[in-house]
Amino acid sequence: MKQRIGVYICHCGGNISDYVDVEKVREAVAQNDGVLIAKTTMFACADSNQKGMVQDIKENQLDGVVVASCSPKLHEITFKAVVERAGLNKYNYVHANIREQVSWPHSDNKAGATQKAIQIVKAAIAKVRLSEAIEPLEVDTTQAVLVIGAGVAGMKAAISLSKMGTKVYLIEREPFIGGRIAQWDVLCLTNETGKELVSRLYTEIVSNKNIALYTGAQLVDCKGSIGNFTAKVKLSPRYVKETCIDKEILKKAINACPVEVPDEFNFGITKRRAIYHNFPAEYPQTAVIDMNSCTRCGKCTEICDKIDLNMKEEFLELKVGSILVATGFDPYTPNEGEFGYNVIDNVITLSQFKRLLAFSEPGKLQWHDKPVKNVAYIYCVGSRQVDGNNKYCSRYCCTATINTALKSNDKFPELNHFHFTRGIRTYGKQEQLYHNASKSGHVFFQSYEDDPCRVEHKNNKTTVKINDILTNRKELEVEADIVVLVTGMVPRSNNNISDILKLPRGRDNFFNEIHMKLRPVETVIDGITIAGACQGPKNVVESINSALSAAIKTYSFVGKDKLMVKPEVAEVTPDLCKWCDECTKACPFDAIFKNEQGVAQVNETVCKGCGMCLPVCPTNAIQLKTFSDIEIASMIDVLANEL
Amino acid sequence: MSTSENPRILVFSTVKISDPAIDMAGLLKLHYSSKVYTISVPCSSAVKPRWILRALEKDFDGVFIAADGTDCPYGESCTEKTGEIVKKTHQLMKERNIDPIRLKMAAICSVCSEPFIKQINNFSNTLLNLKTKE
Amino acid sequence: MPFAGKKLYDALVVGGGIAGIESALNLANNNLKVLLVEKDLTLGGKMIMLSKVFPTLDCSACITTPKISEVARHPNITILTNTNILQIEKQDKNYFKARIKEKARYVNISDCTGCQLCEEACPVVVPDQYQYDLVGRKAAYIPFNIASPRVASIDMDNCVLCGACEKACPTGCIDFTQEDKEYEIIAKTVIMATGFNLFDPLKIPRFSYGNSKNVITALQMERLLAPTRPYNHVLRPGDGQVPCNIAYVLCAGSRDLSVGNPICSQICCMYSIKQAQLLMGALPMADVTIYYINIRSFGKGFEEFYEQAKGMGVNFVKGKVGKITETDNGNLILWYEDINQGKVIEKKHDLVVLSVGVLANDEPKKLIQGWEKDEYSFAHQKDLFYTPSLSSIEGVFLAGTTSGPMDIPDSILSAGSAAMEAIRYVKQTSIDL
Repeated sequence: MKQRIGVYICHCGGNISDYVDVEKVREAVAQNDGVLIAKTTMFACADSNQKGMVQDIKENQLDGVVVASCSPKLHEITFKAVVERAGLNKYNYVHANIREQVSWPHSDNKAGATQKAIQIVKAAIAKVRLSEAIEPLEVDTTQAVLVIGAGVAGMKAAISLSKMGTKVYLIEREPFIGGRIAQWDVLCLTNETGKELVSRLYTEIVSNKNIALYTGAQLVDCKGSIGNFTAKVKLSPRYVKETCIDKEILKKAINACPVEVPDEFNFGITKRRAIYHNFPAEYPQTAVIDMNSCTRCGKCTEICDKIDLNMKEEFLELKVGSILVATGFDPYTPNEGEFGYNVIDNVITLSQFKRLLAFSEPGKLQWHDKPVKNVAYIYCVGSRQVDGNNKYCSRYCCTATINTALKSNDKFPELNHFHFTRGIRTYGKQEQLYHNASKSGHVFFQSYEDDPCRVEHKNNKTTVKINDILTNRKELEVEADIVVLVTGMVPRSNNNISDILKLPRGRDNFFNEIHMKLRPVETVIDGITIAGACQGPKNVVESINSALSAAIKTYSFVGKDKLMVKPEVAEVTPDLCKWCDECTKACPFDAIFKNEQGVAQVNETVCKGCGMCLPVCPTNAIQLKTFSDIEIASMIDVLANEL
Repeated sequence: MSTSENPRILVFSTVKISDPAIDMAGLLKLHYSSKVYTISVPCSSAVKPRWILRALEKDFDGVFIAADGTDCPYGESCTEKTGEIVKKTHQLMKERNIDPIRLKMAAICSVCSEPFIKQINNFSNTLLNLKTKE
Repeated sequence: MPFAGKKLYDALVVGGGIAGIESALNLANNNLKVLLVEKDLTLGGKMIMLSKVFPTLDCSACITTPKISEVARHPNITILTNTNILQIEKQDKNYFKARIKEKARYVNISDCTGCQLCEEACPVVVPDQYQYDLVGRKAAYIPFNIASPRVASIDMDNCVLCGACEKACPTGCIDFTQEDKEYEIIAKTVIMATGFNLFDPLKIPRFSYGNSKNVITALQMERLLAPTRPYNHVLRPGDGQVPCNIAYVLCAGSRDLSVGNPICSQICCMYSIKQAQLLMGALPMADVTIYYINIRSFGKGFEEFYEQAKGMGVNFVKGKVGKITETDNGNLILWYEDINQGKVIEKKHDLVVLSVGVLANDEPKKLIQGWEKDEYSFAHQKDLFYTPSLSSIEGVFLAGTTSGPMDIPDSILSAGSAAMEAIRYVKQTSIDL
């Protein structure tokens, strides 16, 4: 039993002390059994307080420490490190959450908040009194990384990791790499196109022996934990052999294909065959057969003997120490009839318009054989929704639209641009583009939040109407040859990665980081990082920055051959075990086995400390370290015993 | 069972899933009864029936398991296993003449702050009704 | 780690704000030896002076101080505060030689216990730059409570050499004979995290900043709201009254060609919305009005934060503020062009906050040969999309607002990005050697 415990109660600069009487808490616990020191502090996490704690621990030979402050998610690690610096084992530290679970939710009830804080601190003291020192376990680390998604974020992260000498498996679900940027063509604040950027990244990847790139590769299962993940990847065949080098014969074979389906690369505004190239951004440079639309008629195989419809899917088992997720985003797909989408012929999305501009010959722009002169852009489609679920701003679209419009005039000088906005958000240096557009005669309207613009189609004319903010709700209208819906970013649909890896999502349904500022690329699953737009809308530069941040974090997991892992594992009391096999059945990690003595034993480096084996034991022979019966019971007793 | 004001509830929450939701409830300043206490465990299927019984036999009016549900980082079996624990404990409660209504379980995902408040308020009301009946 | 004259480092990080700190930690955690140089007396940059940060409303100190604490005790990081870079030169074989000057503090850092007795003893009072001149400080002073290092310093420009502090100091650590020291160090790579300058609202006389005490900058408001705040209450500086009708003027010095800054500062909308939310909490009776051109709540969780502010009752008015004049009682008349009504309207407020923007800090230009800047004087990004952190000089990388306006989450990601590139560069060039 610890008898020299130090307790620190944090004001959090008012976050706690405005609602919880911290001095009263201090007084209430100071006389608790085993407490030697009880103090309050303005900022427990500040360096000066940390130093003070180290001094207290050393001078008073404290054997247990409790800090009552914010959520343990923020600073439990900080304070465990403090006690370690003072020579104490970090398991003799217990954290009490009196901010997120006391002062904030009970800000309406100061007396109740103070009372609850007292109980929580007392419970923490009860737990630390029983605490025992435990040493961390070491695991061998597989010095390899799985990067999921070969868009710009995933490719850049893979390249950086490989240059540090790390083996990288880069898997891409689609048959071609490049993600959205390959489709984006013109980019802002640079003359580099998306295709050029993707091409540079691809060239570097294929010339790098540390990177194994797999396309048509889908994660189907993942087991293990930080340091040692085993990922199962399904590889779909291309049905066109790599030895196929005669482009002319291949071309004939493609032309022989009787199937026509919408081409995803052009967001469905053109058609492709079931066997197809991915021009202009085809990496790897081999055609592929899309088996979902192929009828297996065999016409292409008659022309080209390098086509084999009987190729089988394969499975890879990859052993890696860490996983970096960069699965990107989907452009929002408007609902049927949303601003006339799919109902009025000349209403398309920004993604489609960008492709149209890219593949159309310079000169006169046409849409369905009609010349296009007036372009109307409707902003925030699928973003900042008043009624829908997408409350967030998609960040990239204002700039992308203005940039696309500006650059379109290089190729199609006759285009006039009308922007129906909800307030332009060209943040930072991108403001210059907005300025340039205004100067070049682009017309900007702004609608009220509760009064969006409307698209109407009458007498073969499409018009956009708006009650404009800048002219005091006066109704203005523009006749448009094409209406471009500026669609935002949404998380990838049919993305089963979060289910397989158990990654939590945020309120916006994108993957969630642990903390935007403290741990911005880490997830709650140790060893799995997130990068790029799968975490939230980002432009290219922001995606690359987040990818490199994730890469350096990942490298810190796999850069060394050993990792320290948590020793909070299950433990069997052999005398109590009657070997009934229930615990082995309950364990999801195969961490329990029958030893030579015929009783259950836990493999400590495999055990993840989930505790699923605890309640199933009929003889209560299993305890989880730091969550033992006596620890939990002591906390229950204290919490129950309100004074 | 105590009879003063709000029922006293012990929540078994989980470190990675339901705790963040309960923390976020605080962050969003969503209010609930200050008689609600949490003990967080790695996974909801690690809660031993004896812990629940102890809480109910001491001074808690109710025990709420904020389960990981399908979000459990340790695997999908969690939902079923937590359900099993509740079933087993309900049985033990009956044997001890404790109203099974005093143990409740619901899945609370990592952003389920509002559902958490709703569940806790409903549970509070149930326990309050139980108290007045007694 | 103390400096102790060590000469060779893997990386030199210039600037001890959040971007420099994050870069240094990333490098050091991957085993690089880092020298972190900060020109100010303390680490933490602008972030440590903030109240809370958007959109999570964490207190800024709670995010910064643990990181600073980690830097301060990291075995791979050497810190020099109160130190200027004089020059950085790229040498052959891919390494850099830097001349640095550690300015005299007139206090022996290792002996100072931060007891503040010198502060009590000092008779000189001058405006406190760390509180944005809202209150005074002594000539012998500790910058602020959570400064790192939390040690005293003598401000020789204002010191009257009375010797009172020397007598008061229990450890005898005050040393008036200290002199500036120059060192030369070698590093394999350099990260520039030199941050930004705030727009000086004196450049817009029609806003009456400087003439009317109740026109303040948003950074001053940060201090009024911070947990370590000067008056322990939100008061207007003119007469100490509790303000009850507060106005925010967005884009003060941003998106404004007339002051030579055409770009958007990226942070002002959000910090103003955050302050408005905090004010609604601190002064429940006060009205808060935000005058804006466009609200740019573009980041993760930002739009929701903006909606939350609207829900709390913050009044958003779309209109450009033309001028601000003071009335007899220190109140202010704000003239703005109301977009809805299409005419100029006068509104009375008792405190006006100017949401000043971000300007480039172009000091690096003077420090390194070959440094190129963009048209706004931010660092030129040589390969914007492929390697965003690369400067115009091979081996010199950019973290945080050195390359443009950024909020804190973006600065942190940019710092990680710069650190990754710097490590890769060191690894590759070392192989080449």
